[in-house]
Amino acid sequence: MSGRPLAQFFALAAEAVRDAVRRRIAVALAALSLLSLVGVDSCTSCGAGTFVVDGQPVDVTRLLGWTGMVLYGLLALWTVALAGALASDHLEQTLADGSALLALARPVGRGTFALARLAGALAVSFGTGAVLLAGTALFLRTRYALPLGPAAFAAASAALSAVAVGALAMTASLVLPRLATIALVFVGVAGIAFANVAGLAGAELSPLWSALHRFGPPIGSGLALAVSSWTGRELPAPPALVLARLALWATFAPALLTVVFRRIDLGRAGP
Amino acid sequence: MPALEWSSVSKRYGARQALADVSFELPEGACLGLLGPNGAGKTTALRLALGQTRADAGRVRVHGIEPEDPASRAGVGWLPERLALPARARIRGFLRLHARLAGFYGRRADEEVDAVLATTGLVERAGDRLGGLSKGLAQRLGFAQALLGAPRLLLLDEPTSGLDPIGVRDARDWILAARRRGASVLVSSHQLSEVERTCDRLVILRDGRIAASGRIDEIVRAGESLEDAFVRLVGREAASA
Repeated sequence: MSGRPLAQFFALAAEAVRDAVRRRIAVALAALSLLSLVGVDSCTSCGAGTFVVDGQPVDVTRLLGWTGMVLYGLLALWTVALAGALASDHLEQTLADGSALLALARPVGRGTFALARLAGALAVSFGTGAVLLAGTALFLRTRYALPLGPAAFAAASAALSAVAVGALAMTASLVLPRLATIALVFVGVAGIAFANVAGLAGAELSPLWSALHRFGPPIGSGLALAVSSWTGRELPAPPALVLARLALWATFAPALLTVVFRRIDLGRAGP
Repeated sequence: MPALEWSSVSKRYGARQALADVSFELPEGACLGLLGPNGAGKTTALRLALGQTRADAGRVRVHGIEPEDPASRAGVGWLPERLALPARARIRGFLRLHARLAGFYGRRADEEVDAVLATTGLVERAGDRLGGLSKGLAQRLGFAQALLGAPRLLLLDEPTSGLDPIGVRDARDWILAARRRGASVLVSSHQLSEVERTCDRLVILRDGRIAASGRIDEIVRAGESLEDAFVRLVGREAASA
């Protein structure tokens, strides 16, 4: 994009952010995320000490890396799912109320409009996710002495996943009802993350799960690789390859969205 | 080159034939009234021109450009039958967004917004939220956004809907002013008297086909009103549908 399309994109994206902030679901999800942060504060408040397992004392600090990885990973997944949920009707709603038709009656490309709506949904998700993940990383740093580098890498991985999931959800919303799209987002994110973690753990996967793990957006793999260093355990996947796959999905999904939106018939859209 | 051109256009929605082999054009600088009973295909014809939907057969051109190309909508103002307004936005903000989308930025965008606010009598209401607008004010705002940047082609779908008599007269003045500066205007409406006052040509659609087209004096017979001609051409049953 250059010149006029870029200026149109920013004008539409700013409007899309305002739309996203005004929505009740965005407020509810942001509140839920902040409540999660309170929960993180509570569950990271136990300090050093010893557990006795089978009569053997276990140093709590050995468990902290695993706790941090699971906690941070789940919250990052929540951020990714949040992006998908917000995107799931952020474009479709403008078609239903007719505002998309009014904007597209200007010399605005459909691709520009769709990407601006995606950017609006992602901006809210990124804002919420940044507060949630940065807060959690700081708790883990100050209370468990876990380094911040892996957390930053995981946040970047979650951001790429959010772009892919948000764009795929927005594309699905053009052909599926809203509830079905939201269900698809949550089931899809959880399913792929499960396939990735099981695959990285060396579990034997059925062909479907294996295909999801090997070719789907590596949502769980990216996160697990990023924060696995907290546990001191090496995972059997090259980080560069996983990052490349994530970047590929984060490029492919918005491209798919623009292609589908350009082809869709808006003849029956509007109030 | 005509401002708008439909050439052997057909469009079907499922089992319903919205347009069947329809050909007509809007010459540059002319005003064309698009008439027909509900479901005759008027809105489909407009949507094809705006690139919202594609013809199954035939071709549509806007200033010689196919409607799928965003460039075809440069200098086009559209007033939809039902205007979508974000409830929390304000009049000036809404118009400023559309000025930007139309290609005006910075001070020029503000100038264009001020100009249409003045034209449509909305200066005092510029700070109002859109959610609280009456139907008449919303229609004035619809006109304001359609007139942004003095477009050379106006597409107006039921332009006097929701307007009081003063608003109807204002709308007529805005259309005539646009014509005076050389703009081409297409008015799709059920208000035959308004079409008669503002347009010089007509296309009357019935069941997706052209029932009549040409200059008004070619369609309306001596001693006949436009309403009489309309009922004669589309049939009393269809006219009251």
